[in-house]
Amino acid sequence: MKKMLYVAGREFTSTVTTKGFVFGILVTPLLLGLVFFLMPRYLTKAPPKVEGQVVIIDPTGVVAEPLAAHLTPERFAERREKTKRDIENAAPSVFRRQAAALPSGEAAIRQSIDTALGEVPRLQVLPLPGGTRVEPEKEALKMALPKPGSGPAPRLAVIVVQPDAVRPAEGTDTFGSYELFVRNKLDDRLVDDLHSGMRDAIVAARLRESGLDPVRIRNLTSVQRPGSRTVTAEGERTTNSVLNMLLPMAFMILLLMSVLTSGQYLLTSTVEEKSNRVVEVLLSAVSAMELMTGKILGQMAVGLLVLALYAGLGVIALVSFATLGLIDPLLLVFLLIFYVLAYFTFASLMAAVGSAVNEMREAQSLQMPIMMVLMIPWILWLPISREPNSMLAIVLSFVPPLGNFVMLLRMTSQSPPPMWQAWLSIAVGAAGAYASLWFAAKVFRVGMLMYGKPPSFGTLIRWARMS
Amino acid sequence: MGYAIVLKNLKKTFGETVAVRDLDLTVPEGALYGVIGPNGAGKTTMIRMILSILFPDHGELTVLGRPSALEAKDRIGYLPEERGLYKKMRVGEFLVYMARLKGLDGNVSQRVKEWLGRVDLADCEQKRCEDLSKGMQQKVQFVAAVIHRPDLLILDEPFGGLDPVNQRLMRDLVLEEHRRGATVLFSTHIMTHAEQLCDHVVMIHRGEKVLDQTMAGIRETFDPHRILFVPLDPDSDIAKLRAVPGVRAVTPDGSAWDVALDGQAHAASVIPALVMAVTPSRVEIRRPTLEDVFVSIVSGDASTALDDDARLRAALRDGGQEGRR
Repeated sequence: MKKMLYVAGREFTSTVTTKGFVFGILVTPLLLGLVFFLMPRYLTKAPPKVEGQVVIIDPTGVVAEPLAAHLTPERFAERREKTKRDIENAAPSVFRRQAAALPSGEAAIRQSIDTALGEVPRLQVLPLPGGTRVEPEKEALKMALPKPGSGPAPRLAVIVVQPDAVRPAEGTDTFGSYELFVRNKLDDRLVDDLHSGMRDAIVAARLRESGLDPVRIRNLTSVQRPGSRTVTAEGERTTNSVLNMLLPMAFMILLLMSVLTSGQYLLTSTVEEKSNRVVEVLLSAVSAMELMTGKILGQMAVGLLVLALYAGLGVIALVSFATLGLIDPLLLVFLLIFYVLAYFTFASLMAAVGSAVNEMREAQSLQMPIMMVLMIPWILWLPISREPNSMLAIVLSFVPPLGNFVMLLRMTSQSPPPMWQAWLSIAVGAAGAYASLWFAAKVFRVGMLMYGKPPSFGTLIRWARMS
Repeated sequence: MGYAIVLKNLKKTFGETVAVRDLDLTVPEGALYGVIGPNGAGKTTMIRMILSILFPDHGELTVLGRPSALEAKDRIGYLPEERGLYKKMRVGEFLVYMARLKGLDGNVSQRVKEWLGRVDLADCEQKRCEDLSKGMQQKVQFVAAVIHRPDLLILDEPFGGLDPVNQRLMRDLVLEEHRRGATVLFSTHIMTHAEQLCDHVVMIHRGEKVLDQTMAGIRETFDPHRILFVPLDPDSDIAKLRAVPGVRAVTPDGSAWDVALDGQAHAASVIPALVMAVTPSRVEIRRPTLEDVFVSIVSGDASTALDDDARLRAALRDGGQEGRR
C-alpha cells in the first residue's frame, strides 16, 4: 500500500512538473481565470465623459432638428433607462433571485449598469445649411482634443445629409442617405447613437413627407417579444434556452477533458517506462498490480487537478458575474463521482495498451477503438440534452463506459432523471470500472515484459485469459 | 545453514518454445553463484521466475525461505538485464525513489549520497539520468539494486556494456556485497567473468542445467591432462617429446606444442622428463577454461551436432575477448 502511494506520488509529480503540463493545463486556465476575474471589474469602470459638437449639413432642412432632439441629454438618459430595463429582463430569473437575496442587491445591479453605461454625453448640434463646403468643416475633426473643461467644445462628428434623403430625386423611387465623418477614437457607443438618431430623424421626415404619422406607424409596427415560460409539474419558470444547452455541455467537456488528459498521460508514462526499460527495475521492488494501481492513482490525481482547475474557473466566472446560483453544488459532487468512474474505466484500458506496446507510435492503433468509444458522448450530446428522458438516453445511462457521461448530461439538463436512475448508473459504472481494471491488470502483467511485435486487441484478450 | 534459493522441477514455456525445462537448483546462503550459458539459454527466464516476475508453468520454488519472492521483495536486490532509468529524473531522486520502493525509511538521501560516493558519482546527484554515460547509468542501476542491503543479490549480465575499469569496479562491488554476507547469483554469457568471480558455477544450455559444480570441482573433473610446452629453440625435434613416458600425443599449437598426457600419468612426473628431453622457454599445466568445459559438455550432448561446436566456441570466445580486453 505504501509502495503504491510512492508510485502514485512519483507519477503525479513527474507529470505535473513537465513544461507541457504547466503551460498546456495550468497557464491557459489561469489566464482565462484572470480574464473572468478582471473583466467585470474593468466593465464597471465608467467610460470617459463625452462632450463636444456635432455639425450637420442639412440641405433638406428637416433632419437637423429631430436629430438635435434625439441627442439631448434627457433623451440619452431616457434611452439608457430603457436599455437598463431590457438587461434586467433578459437576465435569467435565478440571477434576479440571487441579486434580490444579496444585501442591496437590486441597487447594486442598477449601480453597476449605470456605471457601465457611463455618464450621459453632452452634445451641441450645429446645423449648417445645404451647400456648405464639407472639407473645411472636416478640418476641425483633425485638431487635438483640448483638456476637459478648457477651451471650446471639440468637434466630434460631421454629418452630411444627401439632398434626396427625404424626397427622392425627380423620376426615381430610391432615397438618398447621409454621410458620417467622425473624429479618431470616438466612443463607438456615441457613433451608434448618431446612426440611430439619423435613422429615426430621416424616417420620421420621410413619413411626414408622405403624410403619415410617425408615432402611429411605430406603434403599428412594433410587437413586444416576451420570454417563453417552461411549464412543469412543479410550476412555471422562464425558459432560458442558451443556459439549458451550456450547462450540460460545460459539465461534459469538463468530464471528457479531465479523463482524456489524465488517460493520455498514463499511456505515455507507461510506454515510456517500458521503452526506457525501467519497468523491470521497478518490478523487482513492487508487484505489477501495485505498479499499475499506483500509476492509475497518480494520474487520477492529475485529472482531479485539471478538473478542479477548470471547474474552479467556472465557479470563479459564475461568482464574478454573480450567477453562482445556477449550479446545484450536488452536481459538482456527481461530476466528481462520474469522473472517478469514467477515469478508472478509461485509464485501466490505457494502461493495458501502454503495457502492450514498445513505443507511442504503436499505441495509436490500439488506442483507436478506446478513443472512438469516448467520442460517442460527443455525438450523443445534442439528442440527449434535447430529450434527456428519451428511451435512448435511459438505456445508454446503464451501458458502462458511456453511462457515466450520459447520466451526467441528463442530470445537468432541465429535467433531471429520478435519483434511483442516477444511483443505478453509478453502480453499473463502478462494475464497468472494476471489469476494465481486472482486464488491464492481467494484460499489464504479461505486457510489461513483452518486447517485440506490437500485439493486436485479440492478443490482449488472449493474454488476459492466459494469466 | 539454510538455502537462499531452492528450485524444484521448474518449467516455463512461451507458446511453442520451452525456455526452461525441469530445472533444479539450490543456492546456499552466503554463496556466490554464477549462471553461465550462451544467449537464449534460459538464464533470464530462470532469474525472472526466481523473482516472481514470471511464474513457472509447473515446479516449486523457495526464495529466502518464502514460497514466492513477492513476500521477500525488500530483502532482494535485482539488476535486470533489460535495465533503464527515468530519463528526466535526477539521479539522487531516482535512487531515493527506488530505496523507498524497497521499503527503506528514514534518512534515505544520506545513504544515497554515500553510495554515489562509493561508485565515483558523487557529483552526479543533481544530474538528470539522461545526461549520464551508459557506464555511469549502469552504476546507478547497481546502486539501486543494493541500496537496501539485500540478503540476496541477483544480477543479470552485470558486466555487459562496461569498460574494463568499470568492469573491475563492478566486480569489486559484487565481491564486497558477497563479503558483507549477501548471497549473490549472477548470470553471464562471458565465461571469463564467471571464472574470475564465482565459487560455484551453474551452466544452462537450451533451458536445461548441464553443470552445477564448484570452480575447484570443475578444475578437477575437467582437468584436460595437457601441458603447454614452448621450446627454447623453435627447430627442436618434436619426436623427443613423444618418446617421454606418459605422453599420449604432441601436437603443434602455433609456436608452442600441446602435450597430451595419458589418463594415469601425473604432470609432476612427466614435466621433469619433458624438460630433460627438450630445453623449454616455458612449460605450463593447462587449466580447463569454462569455455572448454562448456563446449565439451554441449558437444557430448547427442542433440547437438558437432559442427555447432565451432560456432559455439566462437560465440563464447567473442564474449571472452571482450572480457579480457
